[in-house]
Amino acid sequence: MRWATRAGVHIDRAACAWLIRRFLDPEAEFVFVADPADVPADATPFDMRGVELGHVGGDCSFETILRRHELTDPVLWRVAEAVHEADLDDGRFDAPEAPGLDVLLRGLSMTGTDEHTLAVSGPLFDALYEYHRRRLLLGREPA
Amino acid sequence: MGATGEWVLLSYRLPREPSGPRTTLWRRLRRLGVAQLADGLVALPADARTRESLEWLADDVLAAGGTAGLWVARPATTAQERELAAGMAAARAAEYRALAEECAAAVAAGPAERSRALRRLRTEHRAIGRRDFFPPAEREDAARALRALGGTAAAEEVAR
Repeated sequence: MRWATRAGVHIDRAACAWLIRRFLDPEAEFVFVADPADVPADATPFDMRGVELGHVGGDCSFETILRRHELTDPVLWRVAEAVHEADLDDGRFDAPEAPGLDVLLRGLSMTGTDEHTLAVSGPLFDALYEYHRRRLLLGREPA
Repeated sequence: MGATGEWVLLSYRLPREPSGPRTTLWRRLRRLGVAQLADGLVALPADARTRESLEWLADDVLAAGGTAGLWVARPATTAQERELAAGMAAARAAEYRALAEECAAAVAAGPAERSRALRRLRTEHRAIGRRDFFPPAEREDAARALRALGGTAAAEEVAR
């Protein structure tokens, strides 16, 4: 399936792309557009104005996708807290890794293309997911 | 005429009632550090991030039954832009001053309260920095006060 989002990928779009590829559509292809009007007819838009999978209420797009696709994995919801704080920084969650994540993703947007940002950030989100999975299983900080 | 920069403007109108969405919007605009140009018209220096932030707020306004528009504009004169920037810098300067005062007060507090205050003030400092587009001199004062507080807290840890 094709998925479209706005160009200039930052934390929320990078996290959404990872979520889509890992949990919704392993074959996902991503298109980056400058204007919502440029979204191809066969693509599902996300993290753009006026689309279903965008910011809803106080939620960032990553949280909206989790809700709309009924993904209830508690590890994903913990990752969502980090994405939410890195993107919105409104203090709703306690996610100490969020500022670091935001800095890394912003730096990636300065050093490479959107495709490069997705390629590099994918393993980062895998790592974040695995860390929180172990933490939830152990009930304490994993080694 | 000197060249002026690009600004992103959000024009909005929200129903008087319910007041919930108005309060939420006001709080979010405040967090972004916007310049209020007129009733229902705010501005930020344009970049990918500020534009995106205001886009989401425009959608929030529409979702709450209001009307909203997003504009990219240049002040017609450098004097007008300078005035805008000075107003924003003054607002941040007041926030930095308040932060520096809180840091000084926390240095005198007990160790537990001090480390709690340090964590809170660091978060607050980061938040002010994010909406600081025209850094005033007070920025450095606040950073120094925060470093002093951090130094006191760390010395405490070592002594313990």
